[in-house]
Amino acid sequence: MQDITPTTDEMEIDRRTLIAQTGAATGVLALAGCLDGDDDEEDEDEDDPDAENGDENGADEDYGDGRPTIEVEDPPNAVYLPTHREAMRMLDPVEAGDMMLGPMLSYPHDFWTIAGSGEDAVERESPDDGRGVHMMFTLWDQQTGTVLPVDDGVQIRVYDGDEQVGSPVSPWSMISQEMGFHFGDNVTLPEDGTYTVEVTIPPLSVRTTGDLAGRLDERVSATFEFEYDDEFRHEVIGGVQYLDEEQWGDRDALEPMDHGDHGEHGDHDGHDDEDHDHEEEHDHNGDHDGHDEHDDHAHVPYSALPRIEEYGGTILATAGDESGVEGVPTAHDSLPRSDDAAILVALFEDGSADAERLSDDGDGDDGSSSAGQYLLVSPRTPYNRVPLADAALSVTVERDGDTIVGPDTALAETLDSEYGIHYGLVVDDAQIETGDSVTVTIDSPPQIARHQGYDTAFLEMPPIEFTVPEQ
Amino acid sequence: MTLPDRSTLSRREYARALVAVGGATALSACLDMSSDENGEENNVPSGTDDPDSLPARQHAWNEFATRDDDGNVEPPAHHVLLPLALTERATADGEPTADARETTESTLRTLERAYEWSTDGLLFTLGYTPSYFERFDEDLPEGVDLPEPAALTSREDPAFDEFDALLHLASNHPEVVLEVEEGLFGDQEEPERNGVVLESDLSAVFERVDENRRTGFVGAGLPAEHTEVSSVPDAVPEDAPFFMGFRSGFDRTQASEDRVTIDDGPFADGTTQHVSSMDIQLEVWFEQENHYQRVSKMFSPEHAAEELVGDVGEELGSDSGLTDERIEATTTDARQEGVVGHAQKAARGREDGDPPLLRRDFNTIDGDRPGLHFVSLQHEIADFVRVREAMTGADLDVASANNGILHYIFVNRRGNYLLPPRGFRALPAANPDA
Repeated sequence: MQDITPTTDEMEIDRRTLIAQTGAATGVLALAGCLDGDDDEEDEDEDDPDAENGDENGADEDYGDGRPTIEVEDPPNAVYLPTHREAMRMLDPVEAGDMMLGPMLSYPHDFWTIAGSGEDAVERESPDDGRGVHMMFTLWDQQTGTVLPVDDGVQIRVYDGDEQVGSPVSPWSMISQEMGFHFGDNVTLPEDGTYTVEVTIPPLSVRTTGDLAGRLDERVSATFEFEYDDEFRHEVIGGVQYLDEEQWGDRDALEPMDHGDHGEHGDHDGHDDEDHDHEEEHDHNGDHDGHDEHDDHAHVPYSALPRIEEYGGTILATAGDESGVEGVPTAHDSLPRSDDAAILVALFEDGSADAERLSDDGDGDDGSSSAGQYLLVSPRTPYNRVPLADAALSVTVERDGDTIVGPDTALAETLDSEYGIHYGLVVDDAQIETGDSVTVTIDSPPQIARHQGYDTAFLEMPPIEFTVPEQ
Repeated sequence: MTLPDRSTLSRREYARALVAVGGATALSACLDMSSDENGEENNVPSGTDDPDSLPARQHAWNEFATRDDDGNVEPPAHHVLLPLALTERATADGEPTADARETTESTLRTLERAYEWSTDGLLFTLGYTPSYFERFDEDLPEGVDLPEPAALTSREDPAFDEFDALLHLASNHPEVVLEVEEGLFGDQEEPERNGVVLESDLSAVFERVDENRRTGFVGAGLPAEHTEVSSVPDAVPEDAPFFMGFRSGFDRTQASEDRVTIDDGPFADGTTQHVSSMDIQLEVWFEQENHYQRVSKMFSPEHAAEELVGDVGEELGSDSGLTDERIEATTTDARQEGVVGHAQKAARGREDGDPPLLRRDFNTIDGDRPGLHFVSLQHEIADFVRVREAMTGADLDVASANNGILHYIFVNRRGNYLLPPRGFRALPAANPDA
């Protein structure tokens, strides 16, 4: 990946030339299709709104609509590599009260929406009209840098001058391998031009702790502009970078896009080789890390949760279940998985600074917020440590057949300035001890839309049993 | 104002577009269309010279409407909401003059002479805002709950109806709502209907607040005819009576007129009205979610899993299939299913199992965007606020996108009104008994 160099008032990231990339041939086809298709389509559309521009040209077969192929045959029920890296235009972040908003634009593309947990509850959105953008933005707190990975009803309104374009939209909260947690949706645009986007963000309603407690409690808004034209389409479709076809569907994830630097990694191929070497097992830190320090290049933080060694409490051991992992996890890829979600559980002892911070959401009735132990459950994506928000989790703690906590006590989704989004419980009427079994049940999986590669994971998530190890 | 292009629209689309535009030219186009079709003007039944034969309640509409095969009231097809501001000459020392009252009452009686009080003729209500009543020294009587409108969720920032009054006109005939508006406020020659000339000096009493004029429609198939409006996707089911693709207003989910009526004091036989106007995001609703997801979000996850609804709600009969268990399961569904239904949530606002709201909402394409004018009648505004809070479901542990249909509605305006009984419908004092 090249460095992010601000141009005039727009920045580009992940803008890669097609030449010398794996899959260049396919990419060139896509680009050619884009350039041909655009002009033709505009003409056709004038005469016949039903002109074939998508339905027959299935995105998997033909590149006539200019969008890259995304079909992966028989993807695993796990996180997997999609066909390509996306290209996008990144705009200057703008202020929204105490928050920053980093807008990113790509071409309209497929994603999956979720309302529940069964097969019927998942729907693939395939834009039928190539005209428009996939509009995304990341929100973060200026003071703590925390990416806000929760959906409380953000709204966007698009304007062409004074004219509102289409209906308002509540963008989906979404996860993608390259972008982590973000908000986004496909937005149809009637024609080329300069558009203004107004984003309104309601007060945060999720439980907050640490430097976030009692903050971000006002409705705020921000505005940004963008150009929609040939240059944009060329950039975001032409910039698509294909992986080797034999990698498509492999159990791995693309590295976060503001991570690293292609000069350092060699290039995309270098990464591929690495993947081949460590097909099922990453023997370095077990995740795509080591690049966070490069955040200052990107201006937009990536929503990675802290690494396992950054948690101050006791990391719970897995109970030797079918996940095949046993003992106390020490690296990201030794965390147990539930439908491929890595689950980290940490216990913070009564009186520790962490427990006190995490127990105090600034909402305590008399300020005495009698803390106890704090049990933190942090489901995250494998490889990239993207938090899995908007799930419902509960916990049961047992000792010698007696139930110490629970059964199935609900955990509260909490956003902490240090440990990010997690599901937590203040244990104030019991004491969890060494040897106790802690069963984490996922009542409903993360209700978050997904980009390709995350669409078949984190859906039917079995419970996982942990044990409290010797300190 | 430009008229819609008839050649590209079906009859009903054209009629709807004409009502949305309003004015003398639209009226004349609408009358032309009716006579083209029938060889003569549509027969609209005429009204009565005997005002005492009409109900004491302005909101007595149900027994003057038809019902469908399941016994659900079929609301009038075409609606106009006319916001009205008192003119200076209609008041003296801030309060309405006797002349202004007289003019208002006689105008409304003219309408009642010209049109039968029915969905086939004309139904209307005239309501008054808290701002209107502020001009009086006295307060509204005890038992009338009419607060200023307020934002009801953290995500909305609505404008408020702060003009004086709202005239809700409704009829199955588009030309009726148009010609009434034209008769009351138009500059052209007064229309004549059933031998009654719709002459009126109402414009001496009220000015229309044009930027807040609102229109809309309801009825099977009407929403699907608006797919030429950008933002109304082709996927709206052909039979759907409402934009979101499902039936609504099931008899057993509606409060009775008795339930919402104020029962004592000078405004006995009156009621309160809440009007909110909102955008609806239909493209995402129809194109990014499947039927299973839509049913989960509109009714309940169990409705989806057990296929209780049918394509557009036709399987539901006269209620929305909400058993006590499904309503009580809302909190559990939020956690266990990850999604809750709009109807399921809102039903938590029921009192002793009875729905407290009588909804008379309708869809709109005002501003060339799909939307809803949510008109509801209730005994007191607090009933509406309670149901809305239940519907918002801020208490539920569920992602915003899966919290019923919150993801799809964008409230722009709110207004509260008192609908006085017919006897006090013309510029009432805040406490007519005082």
